[in-house]
Amino acid sequence: MIATLLHTPLFWTALTIASFLLGQRLYQQLGNSAFIPPILTGIVLICVTLELTGTSYQTYMQGGEYLHLMLGPVVVMLAVPLYQFIHAMRKEWLRISLAVSLGSATTVGTAVVLVHWWIGDQAITATMATKSVTTPVAITLSEQLGGISALASAFVIVTGVFGALLIPPLLKVTKLNQPQAMGLTLGVCAHAIGTSRAIELGTRESAYAAMAMTLTATLHAIALPWLV
Amino acid sequence: MSGLLILLVFLLTGISVQTLLDLPVPGSIVGMLILLFVLMLLRRTPETLQSTSRVLSPLLPLFIIPVSVGIITQKELLNEHGIALLVILAMSLIPGALVCALIMTKRSDP
Repeated sequence: MIATLLHTPLFWTALTIASFLLGQRLYQQLGNSAFIPPILTGIVLICVTLELTGTSYQTYMQGGEYLHLMLGPVVVMLAVPLYQFIHAMRKEWLRISLAVSLGSATTVGTAVVLVHWWIGDQAITATMATKSVTTPVAITLSEQLGGISALASAFVIVTGVFGALLIPPLLKVTKLNQPQAMGLTLGVCAHAIGTSRAIELGTRESAYAAMAMTLTATLHAIALPWLV
Repeated sequence: MSGLLILLVFLLTGISVQTLLDLPVPGSIVGMLILLFVLMLLRRTPETLQSTSRVLSPLLPLFIIPVSVGIITQKELLNEHGIALLVILAMSLIPGALVCALIMTKRSDP
């Protein structure tokens, strides 16, 4: 019976939803700590289950496909917050555009150069270019750029966790921790995970982080395909 | 439900435009930009789109899990380069964060 279940696509769909909900519960239990994003718990639980049952990724993906399908509409949906942010940032647009474009170019540029120099693999380099973009966009982009989408999402999540961990103390030490600087930097460098860290810091921080995250994702999605 | 239909229509439009013009930008991004343009023309977000966005946004991580699980197919790569990749990801954050924060920091004029 278990063998049949393991080959039923919907079983894996259900298990993915269950792991995500469990991840959310854990996240809330631990006081919404940015270091255990629900998605990370979900991924680890599914990977462990696949390993233990000896199930291949292809078999899993037959069920995962149903959820993966929603990625397209969700990326289109980013237009809704983006529209609101563009409306809100009119007064400071020059400063914000500069910070988003130069800041994200610096972190991505550094990473790409380091990978190229240290590892020298074309596909990994292309994937690394998407690391500062929120995951749904990064996955779509890396497919387009000839990167490895599974790796893209790992890079993005790790960047987010590191960013949420490193950026607040870094900006405090360098005395660059005004709310708008802190929020925007978290959004640009650590996307959604940085944004959830920013929510803990305050409302100004979180508004700037959410705006920066969406702007960075859009900018990179448009610019990267022409550069790589 | 009509919000979801709107998203699908814009997604399909985006994919068609991308194929038609042979753009290197993903179809979903093209769809997003077209929707953004329409919202700017309308000067508001329709209620149905707002409510769909409220429902779907918290579920976003769920839709990303399937692809992310694909990391298990990359074990060899991670064994070989895992540590280097972690170091690169951590180090590359510092210059980017400083540039960002410097630009955003307002100097109080003397």
